Amino acid sequence: MARVQLNEVSRVWNSAGIRTVGLKPLSLDIADGEFIVLLGPSGCGKTTTMRIVAGLEESSAGEVWIGDRCVNSLEPKDRDVAMVFQSYGLYPNMTVRENIAFPLKIRGTPRADIEPAVARAAAMVELNDLLDRKPKALSGGQRQRVALARAIVRKPAVFLMDEPLSNLDAKLRVSMRSHIKHLHHTLKTTTIYVTHDQIEAMTLADRVVVMSKAEIQQIGTPQQIYNDPANTFVASFVGSPAMNLIEGELLAGVFRCNGIEIAGFDAVRDGRVLLGVRPEDVAVQAAATRDVDSQRYVLVNADVFTCELTGDATLVVCDVRGQRITAKADKNVRYEIGDKVGLGFSAIHSFLFDAVTQDRIRK
Amino acid sequence: MNFSKRNQVWIVVALAIWLVIASLPVVWTAIISLRSYVDAFANPVKWTAPVTFENYRALWVDREFYKNFVNTAIVTLGTVSISLTVGCLAAYALARYRGALGFWLLLLALVFRALPHSTLLPSFFTMFDALGIRNTYIALIFVLVAINQPFTIWMLRSFFMNIPAELDEAAMVDGCTRFQAFRRVVIPVMWPGIVTTGLFSFLLAYNDFLLSSALTNAEKMTMPAAIANSISAESEALLMQGVAGAVSITLPLIILVVLFQRQIVSGLTQGAVKG
Repeated sequence: MARVQLNEVSRVWNSAGIRTVGLKPLSLDIADGEFIVLLGPSGCGKTTTMRIVAGLEESSAGEVWIGDRCVNSLEPKDRDVAMVFQSYGLYPNMTVRENIAFPLKIRGTPRADIEPAVARAAAMVELNDLLDRKPKALSGGQRQRVALARAIVRKPAVFLMDEPLSNLDAKLRVSMRSHIKHLHHTLKTTTIYVTHDQIEAMTLADRVVVMSKAEIQQIGTPQQIYNDPANTFVASFVGSPAMNLIEGELLAGVFRCNGIEIAGFDAVRDGRVLLGVRPEDVAVQAAATRDVDSQRYVLVNADVFTCELTGDATLVVCDVRGQRITAKADKNVRYEIGDKVGLGFSAIHSFLFDAVTQDRIRK
Repeated sequence: MNFSKRNQVWIVVALAIWLVIASLPVVWTAIISLRSYVDAFANPVKWTAPVTFENYRALWVDREFYKNFVNTAIVTLGTVSISLTVGCLAAYALARYRGALGFWLLLLALVFRALPHSTLLPSFFTMFDALGIRNTYIALIFVLVAINQPFTIWMLRSFFMNIPAELDEAAMVDGCTRFQAFRRVVIPVMWPGIVTTGLFSFLLAYNDFLLSSALTNAEKMTMPAAIANSISAESEALLMQGVAGAVSITLPLIILVVLFQRQIVSGLTQGAVKG
């Protein structure tokens, strides 16, 4: 149980005269018991950040605090953290029992205390029947549960999880996700979780840290990240299918682009902007009908480019004078490629971003 | 691989022919080592002859070949244990170290390995005379380790590279120092690689002829060097002892290769190809 603070932590590599910035100065204050997810594409610095907290990577500058200790000069073993790795990192020559017991054994825990602790940890991840197997004889999901048990057996101050579900198949990922969420609810241990999967981030996190290009793009609750994105990166990285971004001109509160004309952006300065609309906020109707409330929506004529059924919804990808726009419609909606449709946009359900800085323009 | 029945037959036949051709000299040597000189080199060839252990007795007892055997044991054991210890530490470091210097060190080792061994001999003579350790086990072990080390480092490194770094990192987060992680987690996983490399290292030291005959006198010589001296001699008795010696040296090797064939093959395919 501990608060974790990163103060202006950065990482720069100098190799053969080439300077690579792995992490720009980053500050982060993680409350005791909080579940923080570092979300971003590969190479964005999220794993580097976690490894610096673990002590597996040295920071070039800045301080890391765990609880009331500055841990910069401490070895990983002295930081009181436990880590779960993407490819599990299980000791192949040891049984499941020995794997889980290893952190206790190496730290000199009395033998009498190890056995019940291992049993408790194994029970929490439903592994009791597999204790005498070797990792080789386990499935991916079981292996990851062993890794989890090995992390929780010691009751560390902080859990670090580096893409723990990436090697599992889709179905298993969902069940392990709920396992992890439940574990955190039970143990209430501060957790830092790295992933590139936005669904994992949205479902698990108390707060999400969206990272890109070696720096933080936005920190916020999952709701904030989804409903109030700080820039185009966050807007398009979170949400599936991705947010539509339409470049155009804002003049006297009216957005214009290639015949699309949406009013209602009063009190916003003029200039080049990107209009962001989530697919579920784009209304679709057959061209001849008037299903969409024309009071609320601005209608634009479009041709259907493809129509994809995902099961719970239909994704209608449309072509509006060369601009591709995705709309998420009811699962019963069907269009043929080439159909004429009307797309409805609304200023209330849209975001504006500066075309140059890519930052959000708020009203 | 799947072969049709007919192809399988051909493969077996071809292998059988190859086996006869390849093993004939060795098998014939073994046979005549149990004969007297007259029977061994009779013309025309005698297919059967009375069996005698006289050659072996003369070699091992009269000529005190067991001394050479002990020499070989000391030198081989010393070489293998030193080059494995140094090799493991160096290879582990080079497998985990991410800087550019590691590449140059490995390349340098390779260059040293590529030199013909005989080119190094003159400088060894001078050096060992200056140190006063010429004609000692230590000097011979030192040279064998030096020549062997690039190979062991390269081979062990490729084994270490196959062990994910996450394993060491997991161990270090779990409570190990870097060295504990190496000893308690990495080394147990490395055993097959260590055994394989050790075998190759053993073969090099065991089979060495050039260095032993150049750096040691008859008293300290290893078996191959001592035998070579016998065979080149003109006496019939010595020649027969040489034949018996050749068989004495080869037998342990054959047993070893049969016992560890799996490791040797995996070493050849894993270590060499991926290295």
